[in-house]
Amino acid sequence: MQSKLSDIELIEQTLAGNQFAYADLVKRHQRFVFTLAMRFAKGREDAEEIAQDCFVKAYRSLASFQGQSKFTTWLYSIVYTTAMTFLRKKRVDTDSIDDEGTFVQVESHESAYDTNNVENKSRSYYLNQAIEQLLPDDATIITLFYKGEQSLEEIAQTMGIETNTVKVKLFRARQRLKEKLERNLKHEVKELI
Amino acid sequence: MNTIEEKLWNYIDGTCTPAEQEAIARLIEEDALYKQKYTELLELNQEFADMDLDEPSMAFSYNVMEAIRAEQLAPLKSTINKKIILGIAAFFVLSILILLGIILSSIKISGNLFSGLDLKLPSNVKLPSASSIFNSTLMKSFFVFDVILALFLTDSYLRRKKAAKEA
Repeated sequence: MQSKLSDIELIEQTLAGNQFAYADLVKRHQRFVFTLAMRFAKGREDAEEIAQDCFVKAYRSLASFQGQSKFTTWLYSIVYTTAMTFLRKKRVDTDSIDDEGTFVQVESHESAYDTNNVENKSRSYYLNQAIEQLLPDDATIITLFYKGEQSLEEIAQTMGIETNTVKVKLFRARQRLKEKLERNLKHEVKELI
Repeated sequence: MNTIEEKLWNYIDGTCTPAEQEAIARLIEEDALYKQKYTELLELNQEFADMDLDEPSMAFSYNVMEAIRAEQLAPLKSTINKKIILGIAAFFVLSILILLGIILSSIKISGNLFSGLDLKLPSNVKLPSASSIFNSTLMKSFFVFDVILALFLTDSYLRRKKAAKEA
C-alpha cells in the first residue's frame, strides 16, 4: 500500500534518514518513469536500467531539490537527461536518433511477428504501437503532456527548450501520431481483406 | 499562418487568447468543416489521455533501494584502507629515517671543504651481502608476516563487500 503523504513530505522524511519514505516515492512514480524510459529504450531491460539509474541519481541529489518546481518536473528532467545519455552510449548518433527509419524498423519487426487480428486488439494497443514508432522526443512530449500532468512550461523545463518550441513540437507529434495510428489501422484492415 | 488543426488544438489545450478562443468557438458552431475536425480531434485527445502506462517488473523498487544501499556502504571501505596504508607507509618512512640517521652520524668528514669531500664508511660498519639478507630468519619472518597481513586484509575486504550486498 502506498503512502498518502505528499511528495514533499516524503522527500523531507527521506532527507531525515528514512529510506522507506524514498521507497514509497519510487513506488509512486515508477510506472511513469519506466514509461518515459520505454520511449527511448524500446526494450524492457534497457528501460528498467534507465529508470533505476534515474531513481538512484535523484536520491543522490535529493538534497539539492529546492522545491521551486514540482518534484515530478525535476524527476522527469533527470529521466530525460539520463535517457539521452543512454542513447548516446548505445552509439546511436544524433542523425540516427532523428532518423525515423530506425524506429520504423521496430514497427515492421513487430508487425511481422504479429499473429492477432484487428478484432482481438483494442484501440489502446494500436495507440501504443503508434507511439513506439514515433521519435523519442515526440513520444516523450506526448507522454509528458497527457500522462505526466505537465504544462507546456514544465515540459520545456524538463527538456531544456523554449515553451513555444514545445508547443510546436507537441502539435507536430500529435499530427505524426495521428498519421501512424491511421496507417496502422488501415494496414490491419487490408491484412484482414 | 495557423492551419485549422493547429487552431483547434490550441483551442482544446486552452493555449490561445480569450479573443481567439471566442472566434474559434464561433467557427465551430457555424462552419461544418471546423465542427467535424473539432469532434475528430476531441476524440483523439481523449484517446491520447486514456493511453496506458507501462509497468516495470515486480522487483523494480526493491532493486532501486538495493542499489542505493550498496552505494551508501561504499565510503566505509576507503576510510579503513586509508588508515592501514598510512600506517604501513609511516613504518617504512620511520625505518628509513632511523637508518639514515645512524649512517650519517657514523660518517667522518675530513679535509678542506674546497678540496673535496673524503667520505668513508667507519671501519666498524660492514655492509651485509645480498644473499645473507634474503636467507636470514628475520627476512623470512618479515615475508611470512606480509603474506598473513595481505590475507587478513583481503578477507576483511571480501567480508565487507558481502555484507554490503546482503544489506
